[in-house]
Amino acid sequence: MSSAVDTTGIEKVRDWILGRHPDRTELAFDVNIIESRLVDSLSFVELVYAIEDASGAEIDFDTIDVEDFQTLNTIQRAFFA
Amino acid sequence: MHAVSYTAQWMAAARALESERDDALYTDPLARDLAAPKGFELIERYEGGGLLPFISIRTKYLDESIEEALADGSIKQVVLIAAGMDTRAFRLDWAKDTTVYEVDHGPLIEEKRRRLDALGARPRTDRREVSADLTGQWLGDLEQAGFDPTRPTLWIAEALTFFLTEEQAAGLLRLLASASAPGSRLSFDILGRALLRSPFSKSFLDKLAADGTPWIFGTDEPEEFLTANGWKITDLTEPGEPNAGEGRWPYQVQPRSRRGANRLWLIRAESVTA
Repeated sequence: MSSAVDTTGIEKVRDWILGRHPDRTELAFDVNIIESRLVDSLSFVELVYAIEDASGAEIDFDTIDVEDFQTLNTIQRAFFA
Repeated sequence: MHAVSYTAQWMAAARALESERDDALYTDPLARDLAAPKGFELIERYEGGGLLPFISIRTKYLDESIEEALADGSIKQVVLIAAGMDTRAFRLDWAKDTTVYEVDHGPLIEEKRRRLDALGARPRTDRREVSADLTGQWLGDLEQAGFDPTRPTLWIAEALTFFLTEEQAAGLLRLLASASAPGSRLSFDILGRALLRSPFSKSFLDKLAADGTPWIFGTDEPEEFLTANGWKITDLTEPGEPNAGEGRWPYQVQPRSRRGANRLWLIRAESVTA
């Protein structure tokens, strides 16, 4: 049951990213969302808020690790595991 | 040329691109010629993160600051601090008897003059060049050009404060306040502190630092910063808000209470007279 809930969380994050890029219909979990410019320096905070909304947890901006935000896989491991 | 001069070319390139849009917020027909040789290369190098819309929205906001400040006729002198390749003296409608001072370092002013002369550009008001070292005592140079500190002034400091340390930015505001007659105004931009600390801004900020133009100062509390240095904010806006590029800004405007948000403050202020 809990794994089903976790999957829903990361899917919300994926849908948020896709929602910003109407030209894309899918996003694989291993795509680097920063290098591919799906998330940039200004939309990054919106990504953080989207993860917070989906996970229910608060993310501390002062200790944020950029490595956690590279792909949907790393986001899932860091915030939905 | 000095590294900051390349920044001026970058800004000019951004204004050229804006001018060529169908929905341009303003038109700067001189910008393309002022952007050479490095402006468009830097547009590509610094691409992303909302920079182009921000530069356009900021330019328009400051255009409107000038229009608003000069509307009632009490301010007749405008000082563009670190004017760079700014062409407002050539493209805005100026009230009669307005004097515009463009302050920047000598080599930039000479290069700009050479290009504008070659284009046959004619200023639309009394425009005066002031070659000065902005890190030194430059008010004397400004007064020699005709600036009168006993008359109210509109100061414009576009894309300047982030190149300074906090102490330098505070010192600049106090210096402007010291030369501001009652009724003087200031319009400029300040970056948010969170933006300058974000790991997602790092690759961009590292490029600026490598190019000799690091972005240093930012604050998430602009009201306090201005109050502490002789100014009172009359308008505080962020890109995407109704009077600042609403519809052109590709990001959400975050409520003030939102932690960690990247702020790009657009500011109008009035001098506080003791």
